[in-house]
Amino acid sequence: MQDTIVVTGIGAVTPVGSGREQVWQRLLAGASGIGPVRSFDTSGYNVHLGGEVRDFAATPYFTRTHHERVGRASQLAVAAARMAIEDGALHLGDLDLDRTGVAMGTTSGEPQEVERFDDRFVAGELQEIGDELVSRYPSHLIAGNVAAELELGGPNLMIPAACAAGNYAIAHAFDLLRTRRADVMLAGGADSFSRITYTGFARLGAIAPEVCQPFDRNRKGMIPGEGAAVLLLERLEDARRRGARIYAEVAGYGLSCDAHHMTAAHPEGDGAARAMAAALAQCGCAPGEVSYISAHGTGTPTNDRLETRALYRLFGDQARGVPTSSIKSMIGHTMGAASAIEGAVCALAVFENRVPPTINFDQPDPDCQVDCVPNTARELPVEVAMNNAYAFGGNNAAVVFRKCPS
Amino acid sequence: MPELATASLDPDRRRRVVITGRGAVTPLGDCPDEIHRALCEGRRGAAGIRGFDTGELPIHEAAEVDFDPTRYFQGRNLRPIDRTGRLVIAAAQLTLDDAGWDEEALAAREAGLVLGTMFGSIHTISAFDRRALEAGPKYVKPFDFANSVINAAAGQTAIWHGLRGINSTITGGIGAGLQALGYATDLIRGGRAEALLAGGGDELCFESALGFSRAGHLAHRAASSVPFSAGREGMTLGEGAALLMLEAAETTSARDAKILAEVRGYGSTFDPSRGHEPERAAAAMARAIRQALTDARCTAQQIGWISAGANGSPAGDLREGRALASIFSEAMLPPVTAIKSALGESLGASAALQALQAIEASRRNEWPGIAGLEQVDPELPLSGLGANPKRFDEQESRLGLVTSTGLDGQSSAMVLEVYCQNEEASR
Repeated sequence: MQDTIVVTGIGAVTPVGSGREQVWQRLLAGASGIGPVRSFDTSGYNVHLGGEVRDFAATPYFTRTHHERVGRASQLAVAAARMAIEDGALHLGDLDLDRTGVAMGTTSGEPQEVERFDDRFVAGELQEIGDELVSRYPSHLIAGNVAAELELGGPNLMIPAACAAGNYAIAHAFDLLRTRRADVMLAGGADSFSRITYTGFARLGAIAPEVCQPFDRNRKGMIPGEGAAVLLLERLEDARRRGARIYAEVAGYGLSCDAHHMTAAHPEGDGAARAMAAALAQCGCAPGEVSYISAHGTGTPTNDRLETRALYRLFGDQARGVPTSSIKSMIGHTMGAASAIEGAVCALAVFENRVPPTINFDQPDPDCQVDCVPNTARELPVEVAMNNAYAFGGNNAAVVFRKCPS
Repeated sequence: MPELATASLDPDRRRRVVITGRGAVTPLGDCPDEIHRALCEGRRGAAGIRGFDTGELPIHEAAEVDFDPTRYFQGRNLRPIDRTGRLVIAAAQLTLDDAGWDEEALAAREAGLVLGTMFGSIHTISAFDRRALEAGPKYVKPFDFANSVINAAAGQTAIWHGLRGINSTITGGIGAGLQALGYATDLIRGGRAEALLAGGGDELCFESALGFSRAGHLAHRAASSVPFSAGREGMTLGEGAALLMLEAAETTSARDAKILAEVRGYGSTFDPSRGHEPERAAAAMARAIRQALTDARCTAQQIGWISAGANGSPAGDLREGRALASIFSEAMLPPVTAIKSALGESLGASAALQALQAIEASRRNEWPGIAGLEQVDPELPLSGLGANPKRFDEQESRLGLVTSTGLDGQSSAMVLEVYCQNEEASR
């Protein structure tokens, strides 16, 4: 009998707010966190919108280490980790900290550190550059900064699987708990707002000029964002023993690679469908049992069309009937954090039997015949929720959450 | 997908993971036998840096790969792939060839890739951003953006070789390659994959050299970068890629695969003091080693050799030495090598390269010394270290340990069992 792994705490810092309750309520209300980019000057670009985290103060979350010595993605990650622990009413003093670990995903690590380096490089100020490319930039420092702040000596792993990274990290944490390499895991993703990422997506013509409207016939693109989310994961027996509130079970996952193109999805949704099928097979669910899908749903013309194709490939015509929403319509694409935030959404959907909407939806697209929960949150029984994420490099990941066995 | 076995650390239930191929592109060549001989002869790969101008840097030496793409890539467009990507694709080609996985096999069965790296390519990322700053954001190249993600090399390698299985990248700084091997081992043990290329890769570039030198991690001269030596001044940067083909043992008999070694155990820990409390840091490294021994169901007495991650860093080498001494008594310490005075600190590649080297040396019953080691640091509680290779008999050499500890708190250890006879039989 394999251990059941459950979500008992959720922390998140997003463009629509911070903390489990605030983020969840705003997402259900269809709030938008999109606005003009403030992180850098966009006057040389033909797009100007972003999903930035506003008014974030890192100080309260750093008690043992120093927030000014770490990059912004690490600050967001440490804040989300502390929130998850508090939300889960976990007392670190009760744990064997050497068996408590961290698995985090990211797309870009701490890109703002490279960007500062580049500004100086271009200005001919190489002598002004310090050691930040080694002491602040490398992506593995994000998971390390979380563990150093919380004094966690267990497995510490950073998975930069681009825009599916949060799912990869949750999946890995799930395995570490099942194989008993760890007793408690903090798992999620973090990315800070990045000029490099913005430049790249702008050059690809992938950024929406005015509004992010996944699955809409007139959708024009994604909107880059930033944020972090951390899930507190533990074995069911441990959660019950300490009387923890259990949001959902992490029932299984599937990973695959298109091996097709660096930035474009497989034209038939091959890898995406294989990842979903593997995830459902692992947890013994038939496709018909899935109550809700958190879509990758970036809002680019291609992604949403191919994602729909992958859904039909797996679910057949039933795909039309499964509520499938994208919170990227509200917070933008938060990169490595995206599937971690969406994982939190799936766990909460299972817990509360409510699902957040896809906002800005106006006109159905014959190429995207999914029920995207247009514009208004919905109450429905959510037994099984599936979280889909796809990434540069053809990395696909699906994680399945379901109601915890009573 | 295979029938899902129970992911378990219970050694009676989990699947066995064997190594059926290896490939590396290093400053001392791309042939495991040549690399082994160079290590036994004490050759050192560092020389004056040719890849970029070092005028702005306080260091001028590194162990560079003399990389000739035409050795590996015929008739395909390399332009969209950066140096890190090319190194990894080449190592993957060598590994697939060694393991007997041809195009037909890759089309019939899913193989995946778990790649450890520290930076991916910080040069690509920075150059992309600088181009946008200097020429304007409309003048960047889309394929440079594709390579700006940290998992670019893994994605490019999957596309190049048709690796449709799990594709994941691990960043753990120095030691990422060992974390990748451990992660891949668990994926196969648990029935999530049948065959995974695993290891690591990183390039040498101006940006990382500047960062490491400003952080004070580098020796001014490569000659004073000798693991465990008295008067060591820091590391010397290297570069390269090293991969092993890991497969579920139960699937290899059908194709009569060559079995080089078995992954017996793995452990990984974090030191929350990140080296600032030396005893705590050494204890974290020691915990990783104990976890690996327990996972392998073996004792320290059974370990026949050790490949240490020591790179000439004053604090890091001492930490690793103390950790080893806390587990292996003086009389019990098997031959120890540390390959980085020969090959440089190749970051994400280096621990995978240690594993590859260890397999080669153990198969040949000849354990290399530590290149350039004359006087051992008297503070180190290890005896018997030296520059000369040691020969041992086959029984002693089967089980061994690969260790790695990074700059930022992560430590890992792996127990390998090397199969000498099987290799001879299949020749």
